[in-house]
Amino acid sequence: MKKTIISLVVALFIVGGAMAQENELSFERKQAIDSLALEKVRDLSKYIKIAGSKTTPWSEANRVIDRAEELFMSDAEIGVSSLSSNQVQYYKVRKYFERLMRLNYDQVEIDWYNIEYVSDLQRQPDGTYVGVITIFQTFRGYDKEGGLVYKDTTKKDITVYVKRKETQIGGRTIGFWDVLLGDMRVKETTNK
Amino acid sequence: MKNKITTIMMVLLAALITIGGTTSCKSKKRLAREAAEAEYKAKVADAIKDLNAILNDETVWTLEEKENRVKTIKDWNLQNAEVDDLLFQVEKKLARERAMAERLAEQENQTGAQAMGNTLETKFRNIAVASSTDQANRMINETLGLFESNNVPVLIIISQAGGFNDYDRPTTIAKYLNYLKDQKASKNKVYDIKYNGNGKISELELIKK
Repeated sequence: MKKTIISLVVALFIVGGAMAQENELSFERKQAIDSLALEKVRDLSKYIKIAGSKTTPWSEANRVIDRAEELFMSDAEIGVSSLSSNQVQYYKVRKYFERLMRLNYDQVEIDWYNIEYVSDLQRQPDGTYVGVITIFQTFRGYDKEGGLVYKDTTKKDITVYVKRKETQIGGRTIGFWDVLLGDMRVKETTNK
Repeated sequence: MKNKITTIMMVLLAALITIGGTTSCKSKKRLAREAAEAEYKAKVADAIKDLNAILNDETVWTLEEKENRVKTIKDWNLQNAEVDDLLFQVEKKLARERAMAERLAEQENQTGAQAMGNTLETKFRNIAVASSTDQANRMINETLGLFESNNVPVLIIISQAGGFNDYDRPTTIAKYLNYLKDQKASKNKVYDIKYNGNGKISELELIKK
């Protein structure tokens, strides 16, 4: 009887260990997907900068919008704030970019910095890793003479979703990590 | 009396025809046997001549031609001690030559792949640091010429921990080259290249630096 109980306990440990190994990523793999998600946010910052620039050719801006849309979940929204209003407007990704391209300045500069996790990627019951990355964005609008007309700094939180998926390429099954950005929420806007 | 003579003549004629026919049949068989023996001897002679030539590197045949010749000789199944001994030696020699040829081909492939990898990495860097969108687009079009199509899959390895590859979402070569232009940085190394029958790249695998 005693032997049976010991055998059962050992078996449970082995099965439990194997399940944990399957569910939990090693430190190196977790680090790789952490970096991948941060990289996608940095990629987005470049797309915003390119689409916002008045010197970007229209075709290039539209191509960049397509790429930016691919970074987001289909229903994601981006918050837009202003020093002149307490209201935060939320737009679908394409709408946000189209609005950005039409801003009434002669030149626009958008820079993101301090891009970091405020909430680490955590595994959800369905296997998706969810985290929150915060960014600071400075926006500068200039007139025809190059004079600074408007400037603000906005802190934004972006929810990131990372899920393991599989696809067939050249007859092989490729396991990949799909990073998708969710809503980009405005946390605060200052005139700094 | 006349009838008797006629009968005897008929019997003799029949006997002659019978004996003659048997002799002719025996002669045909002998001829066939002699022809077969001659053919066998000729094959043995051919086999010995060719196997010795292969063994002493006196042919201008390619390795494949030598292997085919050995296969033909083996298929003859001559059951000749000298031929069998030569076959044993020649097969050992050709196996060594085949192994050497495969090693050389592998080395050539690696050198070729490395050279193409370096070429691509240089092109990627140049696109990333292009001084204008137009210049970057020109370089992108030029680079796309190396690929089977604009939709050639590009896989990016983000981690090789635990003995298997983790990838980023697969993309296409056209999107990847534009990505380099947009991000103004080339952060991946070439890991593997696959080609189609026309020597164009049909799949590209990159790895994070």
